[in-house]
Amino acid sequence: MSFLRIHAQPSRTTSWILSWFLFAAGITAYFYVSAERHRDNPDDRVMPTIGQMVQGFQEAALKPAEEEEVQDGAAARGWVARVRSSMLWKDTTATSRRFLISVALLFPAVLLGLHMAMFPYIGAFFLRFFQFFDKIVALSLLPIIFIAFGIDELSKIMLIVIGVTPTIILDTFNLSKSVPREQIVKAFTLGAGDFAITYRIIFKQIFPRVLNSIRLNLKAVMLFLFAGEMIASTDGLAYRIALLRRHMGMDTIIPYVLWVALLLFLVDLGMNLLNRKLHPWFQET
Amino acid sequence: MGSIRIQRVSVEYPVEGRGMLRILNDIDLEIESGAFVSIVGQTGCGKSTLLRLILGEESPSGGQVLVDGKVRSQPGPYCGYVPQKYSLFPDKTVLDNIVFGLDVSSGGPLSSLHPARRKRMRIFREDGLRYLHHVGLNEADARKYPHQLSGGMQQRVALAQALILKPPVLLMDEAFSALDPGTRSGMQRLIKKLWRESGTTIVFVTHNTREAVCLGTRVIALAKDISGERGSSVALDLSVPHLDFDSGEEDLRCLIQDLESATLPLPQDASRPSETKPASVYN
Repeated sequence: MSFLRIHAQPSRTTSWILSWFLFAAGITAYFYVSAERHRDNPDDRVMPTIGQMVQGFQEAALKPAEEEEVQDGAAARGWVARVRSSMLWKDTTATSRRFLISVALLFPAVLLGLHMAMFPYIGAFFLRFFQFFDKIVALSLLPIIFIAFGIDELSKIMLIVIGVTPTIILDTFNLSKSVPREQIVKAFTLGAGDFAITYRIIFKQIFPRVLNSIRLNLKAVMLFLFAGEMIASTDGLAYRIALLRRHMGMDTIIPYVLWVALLLFLVDLGMNLLNRKLHPWFQET
Repeated sequence: MGSIRIQRVSVEYPVEGRGMLRILNDIDLEIESGAFVSIVGQTGCGKSTLLRLILGEESPSGGQVLVDGKVRSQPGPYCGYVPQKYSLFPDKTVLDNIVFGLDVSSGGPLSSLHPARRKRMRIFREDGLRYLHHVGLNEADARKYPHQLSGGMQQRVALAQALILKPPVLLMDEAFSALDPGTRSGMQRLIKKLWRESGTTIVFVTHNTREAVCLGTRVIALAKDISGERGSSVALDLSVPHLDFDSGEEDLRCLIQDLESATLPLPQDASRPSETKPASVYN
């Protein structure tokens, strides 16, 4: 059992095989069970075959959304035009727009957390409030948010803001506080003032960790966004999944779920690469 | 420039369930401009607290600390500072660390956005490179980040970073404690050379008595009382003119023995009077 020891050193190939094993096992198990179910019932809709899913995804990606009026000559303009008028494109752009606005709204939260940590009066004013606010389950506020802000875009953005910003504020606060005191004293002795220390010393040092914190919270952002879209929306990836659920459209739901995971993975990868590029000195990424 | 006056200073901290805990008791010292003062004492005797008082990072519970005749309420460029760790800003290259003080003190809060900054920075970088050579590093190190340097190199950069502003006082808090003996010895020679060249007042806190004796022109030993209630006081205050690393073992041995016995905790109710001895008594 030497492979279970702390000092075990798997080779590169072994590591590669091990890291992909669960993916391969999951896919194999799915298609095996799917094939079995289709053998018993060729009209089975619970576990679509790969062919059905490819077809479902193609239809979502290339056919116009059912609510979209088919524009004259769209088909003739080629696949780019077809993709841009498709259900998948429309849903992806709607969700992405909300997602980007929500992520952009996290940056004021970062600045607030930074100032709370650096300036004791600001910290004393906000800290207890956000410590309490962070414990409120955002989804439990959903009815209140819909009543207060209506069921349009603002309510969905507010749900994300209420759900994620307290965590980001407190995380930034803690990261700022964790910068060794010696760094602040040193900066003072070098002639830096409060502004320079806050932005040129502390903010620059914590920013890569803040980006990592935002990366870890991307899933929470999507969770609140999906909750909002599923309940009150006329477009978006979650709206489509909720709509397709009514028709048992698993051949499109599963590709949609994978598409969402892929998008989130790419955003996370992009932020990680950006973090490394912007902060070559940072060792944790 | 660079004189320090510590007048009957006491420091107390509240301790939960135990009232007030006294750290320093009635410390009275005068450090003249251009001196190299080593402060030695056992762990927890308040050496670093004394340094923080001089920095203005902390206020005394009683008495006052004057640097160049002024009470300082927060650290500022009048005092350079080299701590044991976290001297350098990890997000800046070696050269940017060295010139940070020049850059940040040359303008207002938005100086980094000023159009003339590029020209200014070029001059600062040339100055920074001179200091880099001065502390024994070369241009190839200038673009490295602190984590790419050894502990000794990091402290050399920290010295350059502090000295480039030509502060009247330089405070060093166990600055060489984390270094291996070889590197430490090199750093000791370097700081003594820099002190002779710059004439800066240096207050050097260490728990290593040999280091204290070899570096300082004056060695102050702090000792806490054994009960831990009265706080530490000055147990020995010695003038040590120009003992160097090459001084004979015999010269050093007596001094070190005296210092080590001075830094032992004082018995309760037995106050050891502060004494000032000239170094000649050891020769």
